[in-house]
Amino acid sequence: METYIQIIANGLMLGALYACIAVGFSLVWGVLNVINMLHGSFIVLGGYLAFFAWAQLGVSPFVMLFVVAAALFLLGFLIQYGAINRVVSKPVLLTLTLTFGLDLILYNFMNVVFEATPRRITLDLGSLGIGEVMLPYDRLLAMLLALAMTGILYWVLRSSRIGRAIVAVRMDRDAAALMGIRVNKVYAITFGISAMMAGACGALMAVVYPITTNTTGLLLGKAFTICVIGGLGSVPGALVGGLALGLIESFAGTWLGAQYAILIGSLLMLTLLMVRPTGLIGKRGYE
Amino acid sequence: MSDLSAIVSPPAAAAQPKRPLLQIQGLEAGYGDVQVLWGVDLEIPNGEITCIVGSNGAGKSTLLRTISGMVRASAGSIHFAGQDMTGAGPDRMLGAGIAHVPEGRRLFRGMSIRDNLLLGAYMRHDSRADIERDLEFVYGMFPILKQREKQDATTLSGGEQQMCAIGRGIMSRPQLLLVDELSLGLAPRAVELLGEALLEINRSGLTIVLVEQDVLTAFDLASRAYVIETGKVSLSGSTAELAADPRVRRAYMGM
Ligand SMILES: Nc1ncnc2c1ncn2[C@@H]1O[C@H](COP(=O)(O)OP(=O)(O)O)[C@@H](O)[C@H]1O
Ligand SMILES: [Mg+2]
Repeated sequence: METYIQIIANGLMLGALYACIAVGFSLVWGVLNVINMLHGSFIVLGGYLAFFAWAQLGVSPFVMLFVVAAALFLLGFLIQYGAINRVVSKPVLLTLTLTFGLDLILYNFMNVVFEATPRRITLDLGSLGIGEVMLPYDRLLAMLLALAMTGILYWVLRSSRIGRAIVAVRMDRDAAALMGIRVNKVYAITFGISAMMAGACGALMAVVYPITTNTTGLLLGKAFTICVIGGLGSVPGALVGGLALGLIESFAGTWLGAQYAILIGSLLMLTLLMVRPTGLIGKRGYE
Repeated sequence: MSDLSAIVSPPAAAAQPKRPLLQIQGLEAGYGDVQVLWGVDLEIPNGEITCIVGSNGAGKSTLLRTISGMVRASAGSIHFAGQDMTGAGPDRMLGAGIAHVPEGRRLFRGMSIRDNLLLGAYMRHDSRADIERDLEFVYGMFPILKQREKQDATTLSGGEQQMCAIGRGIMSRPQLLLVDELSLGLAPRAVELLGEALLEINRSGLTIVLVEQDVLTAFDLASRAYVIETGKVSLSGSTAELAADPRVRRAYMGM
């Protein structure tokens, strides 16, 4: 019994981080109709920034989180405003190619500046033990912060002025423009929020896993998988997809071995694509 | 009904009563290589309802889109409330006081009626209380919207959606309201209600431009009319005059 609870707890801790990764990717895909190939690199960049702040300046990653969030928001905003907005209404293949090219630049930049050596923040905060189940405090904190960020995004999209503008642009960009909403600015803010979520999540991940540029593609793939599992275009979809993938990987990793975890996740994605293409919580609107 | 003058800004051209609120000269516009408007001249007097009629594809919607900044003019000029607004985008046009209720309503799906109305006030930086008061004004005019406040706006009937779209337009506190196809696809009773609402809005001082395919409805509501044919003004005058004009009666009123 305890082992199951442990597996589930591990899955949820992982899943919360996955949800946080996917929610920004899903937002950009849903609102801008852009499949952002930079997303994995944003996560790793956030992780590196947190690592170096911790290793060289002794800044806690849970504090650095906010700096990383601000920096990545700015980076995302500028990339969208300066580059992607020029082609944003073109067919999706064109924007995909552009973000792919930009990703090559960012990826190689990180390889040169940070080197690809895996690095991890080790905080040694101890563990919360409930019976036989061990919950390391650093992972627990990372999970709670990831869930909190996802929750805040949900609230912002539903209840704030800018959130209403983002949803309006997604629904009908011309009608949104008639409301005085500057569509290109909203696009840039949306992309900035997505990069911010990715970077902050990367900072949290660096507490749990080693950070290396080699994982950018893997992380991008996970964001993609989660969006397909949960259903594109909603925060709850990304949350459910992320938690589901976390649990699946945790069980598959325990029973079949870590090498099968990703395989099982991908198989699930393929199955869902065949039987329920809208995902577990397919939504028409972005909520 | 609540105080109408509360929501409508005082007419800006009050200081210069002779000046039209909106003046358009030699306007040309289109989509890419396709030119639709070929030199439109138009004067919208302050405080009145002016209608623009014409057959399908004549360029009426394109004209409204050019006025609201959604389509850029390739030639000509747009003056609003004494200001040259030629080339301004939709945010500046709305900021200057031109609200556009688009053809087909274009309400935001998945959003409540209340959120749709609040998006109309997106550009305003007034206090919450001011915006709440204007919401109440819209609800006072269309009580059904208040009853369904939390409901997805696109689940309303066509007439109710038009009420919501007009309400959303008013929420920006405009001086000029452009309404594209008020009656299209709606039941006669809904058209009647909406017409009465427009008249009431107009009586409180808001200038209205109404685009209609249904000439009888349009002439009923408006005091002046423009007839547009293939991107040009072919006739204009008071609706009383035009209603008696044999050309109008033959082409648009089926008489
Ligand atoms: N988005 C568009 N792109 C290209 N052509 C358009 C577009 N919208 C309208 N048109 C063309 O412009 C002309 C005028 O259309 P429109 O202004 O909608 O006329 P009306 O509102 O009077 O029916 C039509 O020939 C129409 O096909
Ligand atoms: Mg039209």
